[in-house]
Amino acid sequence: MVDIKNLTKTFDKQTEVLKGIDLHVDKNEVVAILGPSGTGKSTLLRCINYLCVPTTGIIRVGDVEVDAAHHTKQDVVRLRRQSAMVFQSYNLFKNRTAKENVMEALVTVQKKSKKEAEEIALHMLNKVGMLDRQDFYPVKMSGGQQQRVGIARALAVNPNVLLFDEPTSALDPELVNEVLTTIRSLAEEGDTTMILVTHEIRFARNVASRVLFMDGGYIAADGTPEEVIDHPDNPRLQQFLNFVSK
Amino acid sequence: MNFDWGYFLEMIPMLAAKLPVNLSLTLISAFFSLMIGLIFGLISYYKVPFFTQLIKIWSSFMRGTPAAAQMFFFYYGLAKLSKLILNMSPVVAVSVIMSLNMGAFVGETIRGALLAVDDGQREAAMSLGMTGTQMTIRVVIPQALRVALPPLFNDMINLFKMTSLAFLIGLRDVMGASKIESARTFKFFEAYAAVIIIYWVITILLTQIQKYLEKRCNAIYQ
Repeated sequence: MVDIKNLTKTFDKQTEVLKGIDLHVDKNEVVAILGPSGTGKSTLLRCINYLCVPTTGIIRVGDVEVDAAHHTKQDVVRLRRQSAMVFQSYNLFKNRTAKENVMEALVTVQKKSKKEAEEIALHMLNKVGMLDRQDFYPVKMSGGQQQRVGIARALAVNPNVLLFDEPTSALDPELVNEVLTTIRSLAEEGDTTMILVTHEIRFARNVASRVLFMDGGYIAADGTPEEVIDHPDNPRLQQFLNFVSK
Repeated sequence: MNFDWGYFLEMIPMLAAKLPVNLSLTLISAFFSLMIGLIFGLISYYKVPFFTQLIKIWSSFMRGTPAAAQMFFFYYGLAKLSKLILNMSPVVAVSVIMSLNMGAFVGETIRGALLAVDDGQREAAMSLGMTGTQMTIRVVIPQALRVALPPLFNDMINLFKMTSLAFLIGLRDVMGASKIESARTFKFFEAYAAVIIIYWVITILLTQIQKYLEKRCNAIYQ
């Protein structure tokens, strides 16, 4: 489903954030990416849909492959249509209601009819428990509600992979749970491939089928949640887990 | 001081009858200056090479020199080089200068408003696979318009006031009619007081429209 080969990213020709990432994610895997700040977790995620343009490397999502060495605007747009992103700061379109947010890409990108787009939107809003807020503008919703609409918007385009960039980091503590519950129920349905960057270790432990630990621009550990979180053998990983659990 | 109220009150309807000249000049140049401004704004926002620099120089010139000087330069100066300008009617000439002059201001307003749309909105559009054009039309411009509305409307009010320049090249607008009339009666005080009152009333009306539009535009954000 997702294939990444020799991905590197250097900012401003000097800050090397990703130093060589190779990653293969299978269909329906739920992959959590953990790691200290500044180790390239978000950068990796953003490279998968070219919101961040890699310095080198080949990225394949679904059946679209893009090589950083030679890519066109059209390649990038095609690659982006394979995935959907849930942002840390939700980024709902401020000038559209919840329902219109979910419909937007269905109409403009996928050229569906308004009627069909609306049906899908209502189905997705129902799925995240936001059906009763369908006509609300983003400012009228809490952070947790906005994020759930963000998830519905991402789901609606029926992506090959759903990318979550720290989906709960900007939320007030009492709102974190409603969003985690939504993501958990998606994971339990088992037919969505997901890659999540998160700081919620317990959540990753419960929900992910696979956990990556990133450190210093590399994937330093890769395994099941039991292997990576319960029985870490990498000293940096042990240190990190000790630090977050305190 | 003797202020001839009777004459003043007589002047108001007489000068107001010339308002259609000012209002049509305003409308025509509002349309063209918005078009020019939108193009300028988008080019500078997307930093289109060469054109961005060109617009910078052009805007600096248009914003940095008086509209009256521009109009004389164009209508009397450039007319020596171009048959087209020589044969141009005063209404068209004034509209051209007003559009070009205000277009430069509107361009800056729109560029600023486009920059005010936050990056997250663009990232969301891109991540959903929208093309650059789709993103600009569906997400960036609608949100920028809201930011741009108050300053744009100010630009339009300035445009209306700028129409008082039309008399400089012989148009019989409110200002021109007052000049001719007062030159005959020597009642400058009353005649220009009437001009000022007419302009003021119209801009107050425009401001009310502006308030109403802003309220409607902001309704969904509050």
